[in-house]
Amino acid sequence: MIEVQNVSIVYGSGQGAVPALEDISFSVGEGEMVAVVGPSGCGKTSLLLAIDGLLRPTSGRILIGGEEVRGVRRDVALILQDAGLLPWKTVRGNAELTLRIQKRRESVDGILSALGLNGFEGRFPAELSEGMRRRVGIARALALRPKVLLMDEPMANLDSLTRERIQNLILDLWWEMGFTGILVTHDIEEAVFLGQRIVVLSPRPARIRAILENPGMGEHAYRGSPEFLERAQGLRRILEANG
Amino acid sequence: MKQVFAYFLAVLMVFGAWALVSFSLARAKGRPILPYPWQAAAAAGENIWTLLSAFGVSALRFLLALVVAFFVGLPLGLAAGFEQKLEQFLSPLIYLLYPMPPVALLLFLYLAFGLGEVVRLVVVVMALFFQVVVAAQGAAKFIAPTHILAVRSTGASRWQLYWHVVVPATLPSVLTAARVSVGLGITMLYIAETKLGILLPPSQGLGRFIEYYTFRADIALAGVVALALLGLLFYVLLEVLERRLCRWKYVGVKGAGS
Ligand SMILES: Nc1ncnc2c1ncn2[C@@H]1O[C@H](COP(=O)(O)OP(=O)(O)OP(=O)(O)O)[C@@H](O)[C@H]1O
Ligand SMILES: [Mg+2]
Repeated sequence: MIEVQNVSIVYGSGQGAVPALEDISFSVGEGEMVAVVGPSGCGKTSLLLAIDGLLRPTSGRILIGGEEVRGVRRDVALILQDAGLLPWKTVRGNAELTLRIQKRRESVDGILSALGLNGFEGRFPAELSEGMRRRVGIARALALRPKVLLMDEPMANLDSLTRERIQNLILDLWWEMGFTGILVTHDIEEAVFLGQRIVVLSPRPARIRAILENPGMGEHAYRGSPEFLERAQGLRRILEANG
Repeated sequence: MKQVFAYFLAVLMVFGAWALVSFSLARAKGRPILPYPWQAAAAAGENIWTLLSAFGVSALRFLLALVVAFFVGLPLGLAAGFEQKLEQFLSPLIYLLYPMPPVALLLFLYLAFGLGEVVRLVVVVMALFFQVVVAAQGAAKFIAPTHILAVRSTGASRWQLYWHVVVPATLPSVLTAARVSVGLGITMLYIAETKLGILLPPSQGLGRFIEYYTFRADIALAGVVALALLGLLFYVLLEVLERRLCRWKYVGVKGAGS
């Protein structure tokens, strides 16, 4: 479904050039959920922006469904880091944003109540808790029933209960809607809970350090099982290794 | 209710201070200089229809100038701030023209547009226009990148990007700038109605009204008060508009994020 082929991204040029990604290749099968982990500032967001067609790779290419990504695709949704809600739009306005821009008439009522946001449709983001804001961001992305869902640290900086709740929610929605997902995170447990495979990146400029299989993923109960803890240990060792 | 009371108190204080100044001036100079508030009020009463008409004409003129300044200045300023290529090209131009007072060009404006209604509008529009342009450009330069990304990632067209992000993100500061420049606008209106209004009867604008009654200090002063009220009216109007259109700015906990 998604193929990332030898992608490098360099910001700027000449003296001040900042290489963010270096020769990244991996693929994601249809309906698969892949977690991408890497240290802070390594280039995870840049990778997602490139897959969403918002940022052109300096070299290499990205294919979705066999077509090269040359701009934003309407069947791909992106959940931005910190949700990226528009403060001047209400919960409903934010959730509907993509649908309205794409001139689609579906209602967002269903997804809003699935995410526990009913009753708050008329509120502005500034009136919500951080966890609710993240859920609005998720609602906005899922409202268009995307084939591909790209998530940029959707649970970062949340308290641990809220984080687990939203992780469970994403897992349920993935089962229910069957999208192909890429979840970027720097949280080890989150990667193990939500990634069927886990792509491990090195510090900036990001290179692929390992790709781990994680067949146990898929149920709420996976969290805390011995297998889960063992995977998390393994992932931690890879992330902490130098070089 | 409290607000109304505060305004009432303010009016009372202004009139009190005014009476005091009139009294002191008359004492110091030994003859009346500044008419008392009640004298101006009486004069306003005697000329109420001329005064009301002058007020209406001035208000209409100002409103029209404001609307034109917005409709031309907002798109230009937003594009000049948001489109990087345009910015490089337009910024020097704007900064060069911005500080230039239209008053200094009065002669040329008169030669170009004659002494009709158009030239009076042009003078006021010029004053407000640059305020709107500069405010819009400044605000459009600093839109949060995530807000732009959020809308771009939906596959929005350029036009939709403006509609969903650029305009709402900048509207509060543009409206504030417009509100702050009401004072300047009223000054320019006065100048336009006096210097470029010498052929008009006193009912055709407050500036003209004031000038026409130069030798009737009490009537002229009534005109000045009306001009101040006109400024207040637009100031309040723009504030109400801002509170209405930018309701999101006023919700949530003060000082909290987003
Ligand atoms: N627009 C930009 N211009 C220049 N450099 C940039 C830009 N965006 C990102 N960078 C740089 O590229 C590197 C990777 O950034 P990116 O945001 O992709 O990292 P990240 O892994 O998502 O970080 P975080 O974990 O903090 O979200 C960083 O060093 C950053 O400074
Ligand atoms: Mg990031």
